[in-house]
Amino acid sequence: MPLKTLKKDTAEALTLEWILHIRKYKLALDKNLCVGCQICTLACPKEAIKLEKQPKILGEKAKHAKIDIDLEKCNFCAICDILCPYGAIEVTVNGEHLLSVVEKESFPQLIRDIQVDASKCPVDCVECEEACPLDLIKVTWLAADRKTVENVDSLSEKKGELQVKIDIQEERCPCCRICEFKCPEGVLTVRKNFHGKIDIQPEKCPEGCTDCLDVCPITGALYLSDEDKKVHVNEMFCVYCGACKVVCPVEEALELKRTSVRHTPVSSGAWNKALERLASPVEISKELKAKGSRKVLESVEKRLGWKMV
Amino acid sequence: MAQKEIQKQAETEELRIGVFICHCGLNIAGVLDIKELIEFAKTLPDVVYVKDNRYTCADPGQDEIRKGIKEHNLNRVIVAACSPRMHEPTFRRTVSEAGLNPFLFEMANIREFSSWCHPSTPKEATEKAKDLIKMAVAKARLFRSLETMEVPVTNKALVVGGGIAGMNAALDLAEMGFKTYLLEKGESIGGHMAQLDKTFPTLDCSICIEGPKMVDVGRHPNIEIISFADLLSVSGFIGNFKVKIRRNPRYVIADNCTGCGECRDVCPIEYPNEWDMSLGVRKAISVPFDQAVPLIYTINKDYCIECFKCVDACGARRAINFEQEPEEIELEVGTIVVATGYDIYLPYDDPLYGYGKYTNVITSLEFERLILAAGPTVGKVIRASDGKKPHTIAFIQCVGSRDTNKYPYCSNFCCMYTLKHAVQLKEKYKEDIEVYVFYMDMRSNFKGFEEFYQRARELGANFIRGRVSRVFEVPETKNLIIHAEDTMLGQPIEFEAEMVVLATAAIPRKGTDEMARILNVTRGADGFFMESHPKLKPIDAPTDGIFFAGSCQAPKDIPYSVSQGSGAAGRAATVLSKPTWKIEPIIAVVDPDKCRNVKTKCGICAERCPYGAIKAEEGKPAQVRAAMCHGCGTCVAECPSDAITQMHFTDAQIFAQIRTALESNPEDKILGFLCNWCSYAGADLAGTSRFEYPPTIRPIRVMCSGRVDRDFILEAFRLGAGMVMVGACHLPYDCHYISGNYKMKARMDALAPMLQKLGLSPERFRVEYVSAAEGVKFAEVVREMTEQMHALGQDKIKVENEKLRPILERMLKRKGLI
Repeated sequence: MPLKTLKKDTAEALTLEWILHIRKYKLALDKNLCVGCQICTLACPKEAIKLEKQPKILGEKAKHAKIDIDLEKCNFCAICDILCPYGAIEVTVNGEHLLSVVEKESFPQLIRDIQVDASKCPVDCVECEEACPLDLIKVTWLAADRKTVENVDSLSEKKGELQVKIDIQEERCPCCRICEFKCPEGVLTVRKNFHGKIDIQPEKCPEGCTDCLDVCPITGALYLSDEDKKVHVNEMFCVYCGACKVVCPVEEALELKRTSVRHTPVSSGAWNKALERLASPVEISKELKAKGSRKVLESVEKRLGWKMV
Repeated sequence: MAQKEIQKQAETEELRIGVFICHCGLNIAGVLDIKELIEFAKTLPDVVYVKDNRYTCADPGQDEIRKGIKEHNLNRVIVAACSPRMHEPTFRRTVSEAGLNPFLFEMANIREFSSWCHPSTPKEATEKAKDLIKMAVAKARLFRSLETMEVPVTNKALVVGGGIAGMNAALDLAEMGFKTYLLEKGESIGGHMAQLDKTFPTLDCSICIEGPKMVDVGRHPNIEIISFADLLSVSGFIGNFKVKIRRNPRYVIADNCTGCGECRDVCPIEYPNEWDMSLGVRKAISVPFDQAVPLIYTINKDYCIECFKCVDACGARRAINFEQEPEEIELEVGTIVVATGYDIYLPYDDPLYGYGKYTNVITSLEFERLILAAGPTVGKVIRASDGKKPHTIAFIQCVGSRDTNKYPYCSNFCCMYTLKHAVQLKEKYKEDIEVYVFYMDMRSNFKGFEEFYQRARELGANFIRGRVSRVFEVPETKNLIIHAEDTMLGQPIEFEAEMVVLATAAIPRKGTDEMARILNVTRGADGFFMESHPKLKPIDAPTDGIFFAGSCQAPKDIPYSVSQGSGAAGRAATVLSKPTWKIEPIIAVVDPDKCRNVKTKCGICAERCPYGAIKAEEGKPAQVRAAMCHGCGTCVAECPSDAITQMHFTDAQIFAQIRTALESNPEDKILGFLCNWCSYAGADLAGTSRFEYPPTIRPIRVMCSGRVDRDFILEAFRLGAGMVMVGACHLPYDCHYISGNYKMKARMDALAPMLQKLGLSPERFRVEYVSAAEGVKFAEVVREMTEQMHALGQDKIKVENEKLRPILERMLKRKGLI
């Protein structure tokens, strides 16, 4: 069969396919999970992903940008899949989620460092489940026979014997740490994977504009101040995805800088490039220095034409 | 020779012309009155010696010429005998043996053009012969010595295309001792043959027989493979081509790459392998197939993510360089063998077969990769829809080929490879598979082919004669329903197959048009390259020093391509083996003083030259590159300021012939301009075949109809010619100068209505296409024109002429021609 290349764009998903006689590559973007952040567009080594800003309709909330992937350019390398903080993209080969770039150590994996010690959980508490802005946490109770208990209240006297189980859909978790902070018992520890700095200068914000807040998927990372009626940042919860930056109508009102990304160790030019675009050349040089990769550092400096301090 | 020197020579020389009249036994003497011709010749200006011979071409006859030149100090020689197409070279040699420049010799064709075609009117035939001799003398009086030029030959060759034909050409040339560059566009040589599983009719494994040959090519000390490179430009001429090539970056340093493949193993990226017809994949750093020559890996930057894992794997070998740039190479070669091959038609645009739409419809080349043990499925024939082996396979022949809406020609090898596939399937899966072949005609016309057809039948392949009208898919099973007509049964049939294999047409390779432009060669109606002569020069391109091998000229199977590769090498060696190459001096020469291009932007000559031999740079006079000029004279006729002359066919010489021919009773004569290769040859054939026609025509030989200047026609009518005819090679492809006939046609198409407007009866001026085989047609045309001339009547012609003359005179005077 001749090579078939397909692109399908529905309200739910965007799918790209290469169908060969003996192999099938598929990239699927779940539009319900995509928040229109910048990560994949910046990370794509083939520059195949573009953001399309959505026109703002007066009186409505701002909509997050949509992404579009160029079938001509995409090589199904799955770097977008790896880096998407929200797990919105999945690349499969013959239906299997195999990440060749990870297997061949040519790209790292994003570290989602989420520790849960459910043994400390109070039986009645569902704070984390309720707090998670993306509904990724599910608290369940197990009876002594390891069976899931449906109605906790019906077992009021045996409550003490119940075991609490916390299920987190880690592959979709952007590690905002809201659950950690909401947890009264310190059951959850979450470390962010994207680090950086976000800064809003309220004096530059247009009157009444809440576009960044409208699109921010992490409740609490941005908030509307009662004092000045402007949007402010709570860096504690920000995941530095950049969805806000994409929609901000004024230049310099919202500054976002990523400094590092927590990833599995790797020595890869593709990762260096991705990091350079996600963060900055300075950050990449810091990372390279830390790794002691002098040679690569030199080549980066040569390309940029200036020396790292 | 510069024009001024020619002028000087003309002014100082005293003309001494010798006329030798041949009896040709009774062939001429039996009809014409030789005595009268002798007496007549003596009266012609500057003729100092006339002699007749029984057979001028025989040794005694030639001796007479040599003796005549010496004893009578002759400086022009006319032989009135047979056609110059027959004996001009003979007599040129004769006169040069006597110390006379061979271009001071002319023939009057009184046999083919007179005695043989007018046997029943000897008196008129003799009159015509007189005119022919007189015209020859008039032309010869203006002859100048011409020197055959010699250009040095670079004894290196370039072969474009590293398929089986190009490889063979390169190997043969290298074996003959010539340095040969083998240019390959792709990453590896081998061509289509390296993609095939088995070869018919012997079922040899294709790569097993080609692989060693590829290695031989790679190792030969006289062959330099330039792979992954494009041909940018070719300039120069036979013996002296300058070639520009761009070597594209592989991002792998050829000298450092050991072909170990460690880089491929660590590469994480895969992309569809075109070599496998995209059935399978290859890595972003890889070779298209394991036996590739040269074995150098290539990074495809379209897919590479630049993780540099390959750089680590390569390590100390340091073969990978991501900053590699394209490299331009300039070569000097003496000849070029073009072996650019073919493409397989992918019938996406033909809705009949559902290719690209139905999963289980594939082409034969895809099938080839499917059944190949080294292919992406390791030789398992499986359906793309479910990965299962099909139980019935239908082969459909002539997809695209022999289709008047698509490719009207037969693609030559499809019948045989389908038979091969049938035999392979039957031998591999025995009773477990049923093979059906839908065909129009089974063409198995070479050594061992018919026996192979028989073998396929004996193995149980079923053959259904009839064209397929439509293929549908059964959505549930992805099986295919074929609607066809069984012409044996004479009824429509419906047939279900689990897989359909289309034997698609072989088509000109993508970029053939660009290649034709670079090499300045022509393409036929089918888009393949045109050979110089379909029968006698099947390997030569019309441009000297360029030869064709393999399927770039027409679809060919392997043995044919191999033979043609060797043939092209042999033809190329005829050039390369000489230290110098002789160039006929019958070329165009520009008078820089008259050339309009100096003052205004003209360049008409450069544009009209079929060979691209003229360079017209702004502000400079046009320049003819002598070695590229083929001497058709098209530019001479096209030049708006008459600044170009064709040596040996100058305006002055042809005007002299026109004037002589029409000296007496012009209104009873047809003046004919005949191109050397077709119409003149056709007229010769009319004579040789003894087709009798009225002795009214006075033919003037030009090398190409493209040489026929409109001024010639005007002059003929000014002098009162009864009729004028221009004879050319048939359109579109017969012209021996690529397109001289087209240039003539455009010119005459504009001239004819103008003459009619001036009052000329339309039938009096005629353009006729007569091939060298159409003696009958030539005789018929002359007969018809004579009848028309008589029907018009002398009086009417004279009246028309009277009306035309002052206007034509004014036109010609303005150009300084009268």
